[in-house]
This record gives sequence, C-alpha cells and structure tokens, in this order.
Amino acid sequence: MAVEPGVREGDNLVRVLAQRVLPILAVLAATVALMYPVALWLGLPLARLRMENLANWITTTTAAHPLSEAPSAGSVGAPAGTRLTFGAFDEIIDDAGATVRGGASRDVERLMLVRGGEPVAADFSVDDEGLVLESAVEGALLTWGQQLEGPLDDGHVFRFADPNDVGAPIYLNGRLLEAGAVDSVERADGASATFTFPLGNGPVIVAGEVVVEGAGFEASGAGVVLDRAPPFNASVRRMTGDYAVLDAAAGTIALAEPSPTAPRAATDVLALAELLVGPVDGNNRVFYLQHTPLVENDPARRLMLDGRELSATAERPQERVDGERASFTFAGERGVVTLNGAEVTEGRDFTRQGNVITFRQPPVRNAQLRQYQDYLVSDPASGAVTLAVAPQPGERLWAASYTYYDRPACGATELECFFSMPQHPMPFPHWIAQRIGPFLTAYPFADSRNVVRATIYTAGGTLLALLLGGLVGVLLAVVFVAVRPAERALLPWVIASQTVPIIALVPVLLLLLGNVGVTVQTSLVPATLIGAYIAFFPVAVGTVTGLRSVDPLALDLMKSYAASPLEVFWKVRFPAAVPFFFTSLKLGTAAALVGALVAETESNNRYGLGYAIVGQVQAGNVSDVWILLIISALLGIGLVALVGGAQRAFAPWERR
Amino acid sequence: MSTPPIIEVAGVGKRFVVGKAEAVALQDADLTIHDGQFVSLIGPSGCGKTTLMRLIADLIEPTEGSISVAGKTPRQARQDREYGYVFQAPALYEWRSVLANVMLPLEIMGVPKAERKERAVRLLDMVGLESFHRSYPWQLSGGMQQRVSIARALAMEPKILLMDEPFGALDEITRETMNFELLRLWQETKKTVVFVTHSIAEAVFLSSHIVVMTARPGRIREVIEVDLPYPRDAETRESERFFELTTRVREALRIGQAAANSQSAGGATSSRAVTESAAD
Repeated sequence: MAVEPGVREGDNLVRVLAQRVLPILAVLAATVALMYPVALWLGLPLARLRMENLANWITTTTAAHPLSEAPSAGSVGAPAGTRLTFGAFDEIIDDAGATVRGGASRDVERLMLVRGGEPVAADFSVDDEGLVLESAVEGALLTWGQQLEGPLDDGHVFRFADPNDVGAPIYLNGRLLEAGAVDSVERADGASATFTFPLGNGPVIVAGEVVVEGAGFEASGAGVVLDRAPPFNASVRRMTGDYAVLDAAAGTIALAEPSPTAPRAATDVLALAELLVGPVDGNNRVFYLQHTPLVENDPARRLMLDGRELSATAERPQERVDGERASFTFAGERGVVTLNGAEVTEGRDFTRQGNVITFRQPPVRNAQLRQYQDYLVSDPASGAVTLAVAPQPGERLWAASYTYYDRPACGATELECFFSMPQHPMPFPHWIAQRIGPFLTAYPFADSRNVVRATIYTAGGTLLALLLGGLVGVLLAVVFVAVRPAERALLPWVIASQTVPIIALVPVLLLLLGNVGVTVQTSLVPATLIGAYIAFFPVAVGTVTGLRSVDPLALDLMKSYAASPLEVFWKVRFPAAVPFFFTSLKLGTAAALVGALVAETESNNRYGLGYAIVGQVQAGNVSDVWILLIISALLGIGLVALVGGAQRAFAPWERR
Repeated sequence: MSTPPIIEVAGVGKRFVVGKAEAVALQDADLTIHDGQFVSLIGPSGCGKTTLMRLIADLIEPTEGSISVAGKTPRQARQDREYGYVFQAPALYEWRSVLANVMLPLEIMGVPKAERKERAVRLLDMVGLESFHRSYPWQLSGGMQQRVSIARALAMEPKILLMDEPFGALDEITRETMNFELLRLWQETKKTVVFVTHSIAEAVFLSSHIVVMTARPGRIREVIEVDLPYPRDAETRESERFFELTTRVREALRIGQAAANSQSAGGATSSRAVTESAAD
C-alpha cells in the first residue's frame, strides 16, 4: 500500500511543540543557565585583580580640616570649653586605632589645631562630634578672604577672582563647603552615554560642564545615562561633596546645590590637622602617616615641622657612580641618602663633610644614589616617612595635606567589583540580550558599520562562494567520473589543497588580488574565493559518490533501452547525484561561511561580519562579540536551511 | 508449434573470470523459443538462468556459440528495442514519478511527448495503477513497484518480454495475484515471454514450456511442454494434470542436480567441467 507522506494522523500543534520544540528549548535554557556560573567563575578572579590593583582605587587628598561653621562676625578667639566642629570629621576618626602606630590613640596624640600653616597651642579633648577646648585660643578663628564671583549660570558655577586661591576653604551662609568628585568607571569612548560611578549622587561634570539630573542625564541603576555622549576621552566626573573644581586655571567651581549667592573664601581659618605618629625623642626619624597606602608621587603632599614645610626633593650627585669613586657631591648639606632605593646610614656606610659624602666602599657602577632633602616616603604601604633629621621634643610633625588610596573604585566586595566591570570575559546572557537592540541599531542601515548590513554582505559572499564552489565541485566530479586518468592525476592535489590551512592561504591570496587591482577591503572577491576554495571539496567528493551511486540494474536497464552515454548521464547518473550534491553542499555551506569570515577578517574587509567581529574584539566589547557570534551561527543555520530548501525543490522525490 | 522461432540459442557457453579461476556459468546451451510462447527457465541457484537471459538481452556477450533474436544478432535486437526487460528488483528510477518511469524508455526512443504520455497512462491502467501516476517509487509497495516495472517494459511495445524472477521478492499472496495479471497481460498482448523463476508451481501455472536447468556447470537439461489449457485460473492449480506436471518438473530438477553433483564432486566450479558429457 502507498505510504502517505507528510504529517502523521493525530499530530497537532501542541504535540509537535512538545516533542520537537521543547527539547531544543530545554537544551537552550540549560546552556544559558550554565553561562551564569561560568561567567562568575571567569569573572570573579578578574574582579579580585581589579579590586587589588591600587591603580583602580579612589584616591583621597586629606588636608587640615577647617571649621565647619564660620564663627559669628567679630568673634576673636575662643575661651576654654568652646565646642568646635570641623569638616569631614568622620574621616579623621574614621579608622581610629586601625592604622595608628606608635601607640597613639584617636585623640590629642593624633590631632592638633593649626591656623595659617602654624600650630596653635591649645589643649583639647575629642569626642564623636568634634572637640572641646580645654584652653583658650587667641586671635581670630577665621579671616575672610574674597567673595567668589557668580553665579555664572543658573546657580551652579562660581569663580575665584584669583585662581591661586582655588582649594581655600569656602563657606556659604556660614557653613563650610566640602569639595569632592569621582571619575567615572568607564572611559568616554565617544559613543557610549552610560557611565557608572563608585559613589556620589550629585550633578555630573562632563569636560568641565555641569550636567544636572533631569536636564542632561537620567539616573539608571548604579549609573547615569547622559542625553548626549561625551566626546572621546572627555573627563566624566560625578560630584560627591558640596562643590567641585571645574577648571583650576580659570578658578571656576561648581556647587552641587544651586545658590543665588556666592560662597566666600577664608584665608586663615582654624583647622584640625593630623600629627604623624611616632615618638618625638630627638632620635627617632621614622614616622607614620595615618591614612594608607600612600600615593607615592603625590604633588599634594605637604608635611610640616611646626611652621616649616619639609621638602621631599631628591638630589642627584654631581659625579657619576662609576664603581670606583667613593666621594660624591650634593647640592645640600643634609638629607636622607639612598643607594638603589635603600637608605644608607651616616657613620656606618658613609661620612659627611659639608655637601660631600664619602662611602667606605665605593658604590657599584651605575647604582642610583639620591639625597632627599628633608624626608623620604620609605614605605608607601604602611605610610612610613623617614626624616633626615630627628625632630626634637616639643617639635610637632604634621600633615598639611597628602593623598592616599582610599578604597577600590569598583566597590567594597569582589561581587560589586564584578558587577561594575565595564567588560566581562563572559557576560551574563541577559546582558548580551540587552545589548542586541542597541548594537543592531547603533548605525543606520546605510552605514557600513550597521550589523544587519554586514550580515547580509557576508551572506552574499558565502552564497557566491557556494555558487562558485558548487560549480567547480560538480565539474571536477563529472571529470573524475568520466575520465579515470584525470581522477588519478588530480585527486591527490585536490586532497592536498584541503590540507593547506586557509589562515596561511588567505594572506597570499590577498596579496595576489591586491596586485591585480582588487580592493580587498571592500570587495566580495576574497570571501568568495576562499569560501569556494573550502566548499568545492565536499561537493566534489559527494557528487562523485552520487554519480557512482547508481544501481547497476538501472544501468543495465538503460543499456537494454540502447541509451546513449549522454542519455545515461543526464537521465540516470545526474539525477542520482542530486541528493548527494545537496547534502555535500550543506557541509560546504558551514565551511564556506568560515572561509568568508576568515577572508574578511584578514583582508580587513570593512563591510563584512568578520571585520565586525575583529573590531569588537579589539574594542573589548565582549557582549557585542557574543552577539556577532550568535548572528554568525544563525547565518550558518539559515544558509544551510536555504540549501536544504533548494534540495527539497530540486530533489522532491527524496524520502523524508 | 506453428509459429516461427523468435529466439534461437545454439551451443552457447559463458565463462566468467573470477580472480585467477574461471567460473562456467553456462555451457552448451541449445534452445529455440517460438513467437508467442511463454517459456520459463527453472533451476537451482547458479544454473545460468539469469546468464542466459542476459545473453539474450545482449547485456553480456557469450564466450562461445551463437544467439539470434527476432532474426538478428542480440546487439541489433537490443538496438532495435525488440525486447523489454524486467529485473528481479523493480529498478525504478527513484527521482521519477511512476508515470515518468514508464515514459523513460519512450523518451529514449524519441516517441513524441503526447504519445509517450498516452501510452504510459494506458499501460499503468492495464497494471491497475491508474491512481498512482504522480507517486514516487518509495511511496509504493513492492508489488506495485514491480507492476510499474512491467508496465515500463511493455511501454516500448517489444516483441519479447524478458522477465528475470520478477516476483521473487513478493509474498505468496501478492505473487499469485501478479501471476494472474501476468497471464492476462500475456494473452492480451500476445508477446513472447521468457520468464526466470525458482518456483515450480509458478512455472507450471504460467508457462507453455518449461526449460529445466542444472547447476555447476549451468546447462539446459530438459524442455517440458505444459499442455494445460489457457485461460488458466485458480482451478487449474488444483487439477490433476497440474500436479503431474509439477511432479515431473521436480523430478527432472532432482535427477539433474544429483547427476551434476556426482560429476563435479570435489571441484565445484572447475573449468574442467566443460569437457563433461551431457546427462541427457
């Protein structure tokens, strides 16, 4: 009886879905689910590295903390018992005891009052909110300086008349304004408008311009989306304090909260400063800064001994260290002497006469010899500072300002750092999914960077490759079957051709094409040729098999009909080979796509998918690379399905 | 028989070279078939039935002896399409629909398109496949495929129909149906049929003459005339004469085989068998 082709009885849509689609979806879901732990497994070590790298830490410059409330006008001095509060007081007592060395606790031994760069002699006690004077302070607590000019816009931007005053404490309505801004985690690439910041919720400063939420950006999760993408490499900061410096040279600042009245600067104001920790006994030369690790090349670092600022200038000797000389001349007559970064001791290692020092043993040739005038940061990690001269009892060593690494910019935990990474080695699938829309529509269709256009272009190259490869494969197969000696002569070469790695072949081909005047950067020719080079082989092999697959009885039958050889070919051998041809062409399709992609990659063909992949890999846009991977896979599936469709059209007799 | 001879086989032998040895497929075959006869070749495997058919069809050439088909050399007869060949397997062209399969020999013969179709349709009607013109071969059962194959052989309108175990692969019930149909076709078309079979009953039921062959080497042992009257039907199978004839054919096969075995004991297909005398 005849077997009815097509859908079996009892099949309905639900059953087809359950039996065919669900298993595929289940595997897809499992794969997608598996990508999450893999993403964490690959990403967390990188997040840890990111977190541990000091280069990725937020640096904070701490300075003497001025009074947070301006005293009422005309008040001169403060009697014992006065309560004083200072800006950023939390920061002072923040890590009390944690990094403190030399037995100092979070009190008078770590803190001192200063004014105008001079210590102020006063006793005080410290509690959680501030300090209470135990002896009177003489003189004005605050001397007013200039009023800032402005507002220069709707209330955010003001200007110091004298740009040199930038950094001086400023007060608005008697209250101290704290400065603060952090850089964005992402660099401005000229296209992206989304930025994240480790902290802060104030306005954003883009290349020196204030952008306010709702009128220039929208907050989005941990980040902000600017209305306009900032130009390439523009500085993008977010305000964390009351104000931020816009342009130090121009003297402009921006307030977080708009104000109709200008803030006023103070010239001399009572401030609370950090003492360096260490015994002041006339012998000890090593002291510790309280916030660590230190930023080594820190232009803001100002260490004071009473009213004198210490210099960290490094002097070079006037003579070359040639391995024989033992005496060297420096500009200064004192300082910390180091040889290859390690301190050498006067008396033990060298003797000093004026500005000439003489080593007992000549230093080795080309050793780095330096003399640091007043001090040297001997261990940035622990905040250790070595002084040239030990302070005498009664002298006070304090920090007017210095910069330290505060905390990782990416977050407090590895997981936070993982989630704030701009690129992941393996993005979470839903991040990839979120990128699909923006990535596909990033450029208009007419632009060669448009991904859909690139996909169509590569598909065209692959189809041309299939056409050419299929033609060559069929011709070869016909020749092989018709002329046995041709097969014996050519087959080894055909097989050898497939052992040549295309990655090595493509550059040669590109050179040749370039020399015959083909613009490989825009032409379909390289993709077509390379794709065809790969695709013709399975087609030839499959078609030869097909032409030889004919049932001997079928040939006998043709003989009994007295058919001519040409009729035998067209009516028997050729149709018998058609299914084999298409099946091998399907194999060739996937290979041709690979060939086309490789050709586009190596020829920098800027219209194709291969070029897009390389471009996104180089740009480090991992999600986009994944999207391109998926597009390539879908393209492969689609092209194979297309060939399958052609097979159904040209070989309708095949049993399915 | 009053009709003229249409196939004459005289002293024909065929040897195949198998490796270094020679196999004798057929030896000293003499046979005359007259126009309109239904001749069955019967014998055990390896007796040269198929070889003899292929020699007549000029699919292979004889090592010795001469053959004449419709008064011509086999080659000329083949080129003039004097015979249609039906193989044991249907050997349909799977990429052609049933109708196109039947039309294929006509295409090669250069028959005009309209006539091709008309003839193919008529023949498919004759074999009872009028509703399967568009089907592909794999959609048909084995019996239906074989019927297409017969229709295709008839399409050329040959004088002779060579049928090599056409119903060998079919089940018994289908086979009997096909036997009836074949007899009907034969009587309608008055062609000469040469029919290879393994089945004694089938041979007796269908044939006007039965050629009994023996193996190692392949020889014609005896030609038995079947005097059952046509048209034959189910009752024919139950008649006494039918049993007598089947018994006679079986006896001839058994004796022939015993003689062949005693002659070639020890050397199965040795070329020396060529010199053995006939057992007749």
